Amino acid sequence: MTSAIKSEPFILNIGPQHPSTHGVFRVKVTVDGERILDAEMVMGYLHRSMEKLAEERTYTQNIPFTDRTDYLSSMSNNLGYCLAVEKLAGIDVPDRGQAIRVIMAELQRLASHCMAVGAFANDTGAWQTPVMWAFREREKILDLFEMTAGARLTCNYMRIGGVAFDLPKDFVPMARDLMKTFPAFIDDIDGMLTENEIFLVRTRGVAVISPELAVNGSLAGPMLRGSGIAWDIRKADPYCGYEKYDFDIPIGYQGDSFDRFIVRLEEMRQSVRIVQQALDALPGGPHSTQVPLALRPPAGEAYARVEGPRGELGYYVVSDEGPSPYRFHIRPPSFINLSVLKEMTVGGSVADAIVALGSVDIVVGEIDR
Amino acid sequence: MPTRWLTGHETAEAIEDLVPGSVARSTGVACYLKPEMLVEACHALRDDSDGLDLVHLTNLCAVDYWSHFEVVYHLQSFYKNQFATLKVDVQGRDKPAIPSVVPVWHGAWMQECEAYDLFGIVFEGHPNLHRILLWDGYPGWPLRKDFLSMPGGLQPGLNEFAGTARREAPPVRLVE
Amino acid sequence: MNLPFLVSDKWYDIRDLGNLSGAILDQLDKVLPYGLVYVIAILIGFIASFLIFVLPTQLFLGVLGERKIIGRIQSRYGPNRVGPFGTLQPIADALKLIQKEALIPTAADRWVMLIAPIVFVAPAVLLFAVLPFGPNMVIADVPVSLIYFLAVSSLPVLGAFMAGWSANNKYSLYGAMRIVAMAISYEVPLVMSLLGVALLSSTLSLQGMVFWQKDVHLWMIFLQPIAFAVYFICVSAELNRTPADIAEAESEIVAGYLTEYSGMQWGLFYGMDIGYALAAAAFASTVFLGGWSMWGLEEYVPSWLIFAVKTQLFYLLFLWTRGTLPRLRIDQLMAFAWKFLLPLALLNLLIVATEKVIWTQEELGDGIVFLFAPINIVAAAVLVYAWAKVNGYRPENTPKKPRMVKDATGYIPASGGGR
Repeated sequence: MTSAIKSEPFILNIGPQHPSTHGVFRVKVTVDGERILDAEMVMGYLHRSMEKLAEERTYTQNIPFTDRTDYLSSMSNNLGYCLAVEKLAGIDVPDRGQAIRVIMAELQRLASHCMAVGAFANDTGAWQTPVMWAFREREKILDLFEMTAGARLTCNYMRIGGVAFDLPKDFVPMARDLMKTFPAFIDDIDGMLTENEIFLVRTRGVAVISPELAVNGSLAGPMLRGSGIAWDIRKADPYCGYEKYDFDIPIGYQGDSFDRFIVRLEEMRQSVRIVQQALDALPGGPHSTQVPLALRPPAGEAYARVEGPRGELGYYVVSDEGPSPYRFHIRPPSFINLSVLKEMTVGGSVADAIVALGSVDIVVGEIDR
Repeated sequence: MPTRWLTGHETAEAIEDLVPGSVARSTGVACYLKPEMLVEACHALRDDSDGLDLVHLTNLCAVDYWSHFEVVYHLQSFYKNQFATLKVDVQGRDKPAIPSVVPVWHGAWMQECEAYDLFGIVFEGHPNLHRILLWDGYPGWPLRKDFLSMPGGLQPGLNEFAGTARREAPPVRLVE
Repeated sequence: MNLPFLVSDKWYDIRDLGNLSGAILDQLDKVLPYGLVYVIAILIGFIASFLIFVLPTQLFLGVLGERKIIGRIQSRYGPNRVGPFGTLQPIADALKLIQKEALIPTAADRWVMLIAPIVFVAPAVLLFAVLPFGPNMVIADVPVSLIYFLAVSSLPVLGAFMAGWSANNKYSLYGAMRIVAMAISYEVPLVMSLLGVALLSSTLSLQGMVFWQKDVHLWMIFLQPIAFAVYFICVSAELNRTPADIAEAESEIVAGYLTEYSGMQWGLFYGMDIGYALAAAAFASTVFLGGWSMWGLEEYVPSWLIFAVKTQLFYLLFLWTRGTLPRLRIDQLMAFAWKFLLPLALLNLLIVATEKVIWTQEELGDGIVFLFAPINIVAAAVLVYAWAKVNGYRPENTPKKPRMVKDATGYIPASGGGR
């Protein structure tokens, strides 16, 4: 495009304090008017060096750290870490513990996707209404967490060998009631946004990720599925007895922001199905195996992964028979999903960049760890 | 059907067929590649859709074993539902360096930056290797085991579990 | 003026407050010098319009609307602590804002930044001068008050631009550039749509339009549905309301031209945003909704009350769109103005002109408007649909549900998805 008017590109800092970066995250974009020529990510404002801290603490003491990486899905993080340690130490989890883990992980996915969907709508400019609706429903799930684990956000509920406490008496009926009303909320959001022409033109064809790039860029979760790649660790490599539950994987068409949005919406419906099945088939028995507090797994390494709300959440733990991990590495899905941010944003406008960032669904605690 | 976790020997055989002479050794867990053949072997692995089909670089991280560093690559295949672990030994603590796999997998871009930031391993050929989480000029490489004895004198908050013994001797033996 | 209906001209008849102010002015005229009465008349007018209009609206729709109704839309309570039902919240807000320091950044253009809020606020007061609140209740009954209103309502863009430019902030600059680009684009279809209204009613006076609608017993919205829609969309773009609030798009450019403002300087911008929205709503209810007339009801109910209720119901429309719609991108907004609204407004003008010619040439009575109304409504529906199709609107081609698969098997090409 040539123009008689001379303009020169300048640098615009989106963040670290910006309403749409969902925390302290910064994108340095070079813009020519509204068009983005280059984008560079600057992160680390929330870096706490959890991987180093974890090398100084026992295996059990590390569980609270995993809450604080992705603070919007603490249950999934706990689960991933516990699975890695259990794999390393060869610990079995009783059936009831596994079923409770599945229920919690899926409720966490619902809560996290509520936030993702609402914040994404907020980024497209729907002035806080979807995010407030989503918060309303998320609160109900957090109430369940509070009832069970005592905390709403950083639950610290899973333990190596099971879960910390058994479910309280009222949990099952309350969860059942919530799962009855939850699809209505999803339909509300669906009707409000996916039927909305403005939302469609803002998100369709924006920030397209081709399937090749999605695979090559190590993407995971809804980002990968939005590009039409049927990949879900719950199906591909079932853990905690996911093979017992009947659910489908939603995948998108061309990998634009809208596809990622509808994939998240549909995943919420599938999560409701899984929770209902798990509640119906909740086995009795102990909720946890006895594991020594100062656990010393045999020397070796283990990589365990779960399908977190943002994608493949992996934990790589190396043991040297000591009481604390020799090496503790988190595979943070939203950090790695960001590696295609430049490809998504360059060539679009500033408004598109915000939509692209919203569709990645980042959590800065997880990016910086 | 759950994922098939390939042993190092299986992966090593496949890589030897594709790029002869690129495997240094193999264990039950991982296949160790020679650093100089790394990019070539990874290219071949990624494009070998009839063989192992390891198209997706899931995870990349480094581990400090005192005598050397290991860079760990976790790869997986979607079509065949397989999972493999590759490793590369990186020698030298002053300026450890291995080739970058960013030309093969774009997703390694940020993870290599992170490994450089926290371990000081230089990934040669990386388009923009910089400290991604810490700021430029940060003293030392935090995730190295000898970080606390490095200049800068940063002290830990707790040291009763890690034990001072570990900071002096490399006790790790990997089970086969 | 010989009133065509039963409002007495006694001073105590509150159905038309013009009687009261007229009586006061008559008395003052006897004792005061000639010119002073005009000044007092204007003051009385402003005070009355403030009391009738701005005060209740700012207090009750400003808080119970802008915040409580949107709060309800968002399934929360809204302010409910300060005063009964939170009605004193705007006063508390204003007190807080006055206490806050109005920061001026070092690198900013100090004087321009200080003047900008004033430039932004002043036209809002001027706008209410020509709006008729009743048969005699109009401060300045200018014969070309339509043009006056359009001219004055374009002025705040200058204030917003000054604010954005002077702050020396890139986000502010974005906001300034966006608001100027948008105001220029949307002014054109706006004027085109109002041209049809003026043509049909053969007057440029707002008061004249109200009398015309009263005479033909039909509101302009039924005769000019396209013009109404175009006006509503254009005015929400000019006023920076969603779906066109790109100039202060919170999620993109922080707060646009308001980014560097704080304290009461920001409060002036924010408050006058509501003021302009009210003026636009009042204008729309005058031109399209019959103003103070209500098919004879104005003989029993004070006309200014009818007008205020209509205005505030129209203002609810702004709140509704604000609470529910996402925001468009700037290029989409521009394309919408030039490719969709402008041709539609021109087509509408063509229809109106034809009808007007038939009406005057054939010397038909006023009853013909009841034939024009259904014709125009049908034509509006057809035109909007057809023009959208021409512009490439294909809702059936976009799948809104993801594909569902049972197994994790890698990439599945989208065949037959239609995209």
